Formats: sequence, C-alpha cells, structure tokens
Amino acid sequence: MAFAIEARKLTKIYDGKTKALDGVDLRVNPAEVFALLGPNGSGKTTLIRILTTQFKPTSGEAHSFGLDVVERGRDVRKIIGYVPQETSVWADISGFENLLIYSKIYGVPPSRRKKSIQDALSRMGLEEMANRMVKTYSGGMVRRLEIACALLVKPKILFLDEPTIGLDPSARKAVWENLTSFKKEYGTTIFFNTHYMDEADLYSDEIAIINRGKIVKSGTPSELKHSLRSEILQFHLNHTNSNHDGTDGIGEVVLKAVKNLAFVRDAVLSDSRLDVFVEDGESALPLIVEALRSGGVPIERISTKRPTLDDVFLKYVGTLQSGRGEK
Amino acid sequence: MTAEDSFREMFAMIELEMRRLRHDRTEIYTRAIQPILWLAVFGTVMSQVKGIPTGDMPYIDYITPGVLLQSTIFVSVFYGLTIVWERETGILKRLLVAPASRSATVVGRSVASGVRAVVQALIIFPVAILLGVRFVHNPLYIAAAFLVLFLVSGGFAGLSIFVASLMKTRERFMGIGQALIMPLFFASNALYPIELMPPALQYIAVLNPLTYAVDATRGLLISGDLSGLAVDVVAIIVFDVVIFAVASLSFRKIIE
Repeated sequence: MAFAIEARKLTKIYDGKTKALDGVDLRVNPAEVFALLGPNGSGKTTLIRILTTQFKPTSGEAHSFGLDVVERGRDVRKIIGYVPQETSVWADISGFENLLIYSKIYGVPPSRRKKSIQDALSRMGLEEMANRMVKTYSGGMVRRLEIACALLVKPKILFLDEPTIGLDPSARKAVWENLTSFKKEYGTTIFFNTHYMDEADLYSDEIAIINRGKIVKSGTPSELKHSLRSEILQFHLNHTNSNHDGTDGIGEVVLKAVKNLAFVRDAVLSDSRLDVFVEDGESALPLIVEALRSGGVPIERISTKRPTLDDVFLKYVGTLQSGRGEK
Repeated sequence: MTAEDSFREMFAMIELEMRRLRHDRTEIYTRAIQPILWLAVFGTVMSQVKGIPTGDMPYIDYITPGVLLQSTIFVSVFYGLTIVWERETGILKRLLVAPASRSATVVGRSVASGVRAVVQALIIFPVAILLGVRFVHNPLYIAAAFLVLFLVSGGFAGLSIFVASLMKTRERFMGIGQALIMPLFFASNALYPIELMPPALQYIAVLNPLTYAVDATRGLLISGDLSGLAVDVVAIIVFDVVIFAVASLSFRKIIE
C-alpha cells in the first residue's frame, strides 16, 4: 500500500542561496497523525508548502498516495486539505458564507453542499456563530472555521501549518478534540507542523524532528523518549563562582568531570542546573554526587526525571532558539 | 474537468464580491463622490466655457462616458490591494491549493472586480441623468455600454493583479496605483478629443485601452455613432487576453 506521504531527498534552495530543506526523507502512513517538530526557520513551512504543491522542490521528489506532487499537482490538490499558518478566511463575510464560497471553489455538488456545510460547522462546534461576521470571531473560532473549510471535501490528507499557534490552552484543546473525532470517523491522514512539544506528544502517532532543513530524528512519541535511553538526574547547584577569579569556570570544570564518568551519556549545564543523562539512575547517583563534591560544588537539591519530548527536542536540535528566522 | 473547476472558481469569486458588497456598501458610495463631482462641477463649468470642440454635444455629455469609466477603473486598479492583503493572510496560499487552475484565480478575481465596477457605475448613472446628461434612448445600447465597461474593468483588474504580484506590499502598490490612474485618464479621450493633444501624448492615447473604451461607450451612450465600435471592442478584448495571460504567468510569484 502506498504511503500517504513519501518524500525522498527533498531539497529547496531559495534564490540560489538560502537552503531551507537539505535532503528530507519522510514517510507517513495512511490514517496516521504525523507531527513535524522543529524550531523557527527549520524548514517546516517550506516542506508543507512543497507537499501541498504550492511550489516545486529544488531537487528530490515527493508523493501523496503514490501521486507525484510536482507532476500530478492537480490530482494531489483534489485529495488534500490545507490550512496555512496565517488566516485564510474572509473576515468581511459570515462564517457560513466562507464555507459556502469554499464549497463552491472545491466543487462540492449543490445537492450535498448544505449538508457538507452543516456537517463541517457542527464538527468544529461553530453552529451558533455561523451567521456572524468572521471579524467578530475569536482566534480559536477563526482557526476552527479554517479547519471546517478544509473538511468540506473530506480530504484524504489534511495539512495543518502550526494549527494552534497563538491560541489559548482551552482553544487549542477544542481544536484538537474536534480534529481527533473527525479523524476517527474518516480515517484522514493528518500532517501538522508545530513547535508545541506537548501537542505533538499528545496527539500524534509519529513525530519527525526537523532542524536546519534535515530530519534529525523520527519515531513514535514513546520511541523518541526511549531513544534517549536515559533518566535525567537533575542537580540544582549552589555554585557562586567562589573560586576561579570570577569566571564561570567551576561549572565547566565540574561538567567536564561528570561527562568523563563512563556511565554518563550526556550532561547539560544551564544556569545552576546540571542535567545528567544516565541509563540507570539509582546506581549512578552516588558516584555523581561524589564527583560534584570533589569538584567543590555544593548541591542544593536532587531530582530525577523521566525524559519528556522537550528533552528529546533539546537533545536533537540543540537549543530551543537555534532558528535562523522564520521564512 | 479543468474548465469546470476553473469556471466554478470564477463564479465563486464573483459571488464572494457580491456578498462583500452586500455586507458593506460604504466603499461603493464614497467612491461615487469623486466622479459625481467631475460631472457636476467640472462638467457643468466647462460646458459654459465651450473651449473644447465637442461638436454639438454638450461638454457634460461628452465627459460622462469617461467619468463613468474612470470610476470603474479606479475600482479595478486598486483591486490588487485585495490581493496584496490576501497574500499577507493565508487566503492566496489556500486558493493555490484548490483544484482550479491558477489562471482561473486571476481571471475569476478580475471578472469579479469587473462586476463590482459595474455596480459602481450603476450608482453614478442615475446621477448623470439627474444632471441633465442626455443618453441614447435605446436600452440595448445602454446594456452594451455596460458590457464594454465590464470588459475593460476586468482587464484593468488583471493589470492590477499583475502589479500586485510584483509589488507584494501595500505601500509600494499604492504608489504604483496612484501613478497609474491619473495618466491613464488624462492620456485618453475621456476629457478632450485626441486631436487636441501634443503628438507624443497622442501616441500614448492610442495605446491606452481606456481610449477605446471611452470611444465605444460614448458612441453607445451619447452619440449613437457606432462606426468605431468593432475596432474598440477588438482592442479591449486583445487587452484583456494579453493582460490575463501575463497576470496568470506572474501570479505564482506572488506567494513565493
């Protein structure tokens, strides 16, 4: 069976110099919720725009259910729904009218039009505000209307570019609850971009992390978390640069010492917190404590933590802010 | 399928403009003020002067077709602003992912703008009657004149979309729009016969699609002289086809 999305060695270079995608390989199974996770400027939006046939890749190829997105763009457009990151409904007409116009653009037959619109409205919980002008909608309502417009044709794949950006937690939850129930009923493949780790963790079946135009890691949320094969021991240090003439040396020295321990997979020092990644926390703890003591660093508190997706992200992307500016 | 998708999108775009107009008609009324002043003030005063040879046609009658066209072309030339705005939002991206072809989006939006422009002219038309402009008494002629108006407005909307695809920001677009509209009006036969112009300007006027639209509508609305109509309509259709082709080709640039 064909993959819902399959990309091979996809690259995109803007204006002959900015490399937005650098050899992306990607596979998405049908009826899966797939999250593309990455910092700003990592190429998420570029990838989604190539997959939705808005422009061509510089090299490489991509298929949607076996259809080449470059060669057969027209056929691909018939099976996909797409909600861009920016607002994509007209504010000076009502929500119902937006759905009506989109249903005509997408070619929903007149006999089914009314039902499709009613269905999309109720699916997204918008029946009561259908006849209000969109400019009176809240951010969450606008986003739900945009998704409703994409659901009119029951697409096989739904592309969502940062679907919940700028929404408050309850609006985010509402969007996802509506999406999930739609997906359950129609078996739609959902491909979405986000930089909300929790969202990817909660709602996706599969995650790919993209950084600087490359997929750096992919798997199910739990695979990714287990891939760290580690517990995290967090040491809250009380290092006040008492020695080493005011430079931040002591932290670095201790960090190096801890990293040199054979069983330590990795260690990250941020401000006064030292995160140490180990496979077996219980046996590692005393040895690390000893290393810190001999380095002369007082420990205030120790906690242990199972890895979250944040940790996975930090591990593969580096820092949360390593982006090169959003395109 | 392709043609069907494309026609569907065109009609949806026309419907969109009509629905927008229904919700908010302010713009249509405020935009009628300037052309009405052209007729009521400029036209009335210049009729007294009799400085411009218009044959036995009163000056206000002479300029009415041009003023009607100016009002509709104003709507069209600034239609690109809507496109620039839709580019800043995600609407254009979304339309590009719809089944219709890209040229359908361009032609559809242009045609929709043409419809809006005709509504604009319909508001000014009765005012011109009240001001004493004597129109030809043949409803077929009047209808034909509005068709010409629609055709040329659609073309200018296409031109505007083309400019929008190059300019991409509101500020730049406004600059070009302003720079375009007045020369278009003055380098045409809207306010005076071409023969009165210096030779250089005459060449521009001959290349100006507005000249042909004015000639056609003046014949249909005022003089009843249709001797130039065929040439005028051909010129306008050529203009439309060329502009739609160019605008469709450059349209994909707008989202990149």
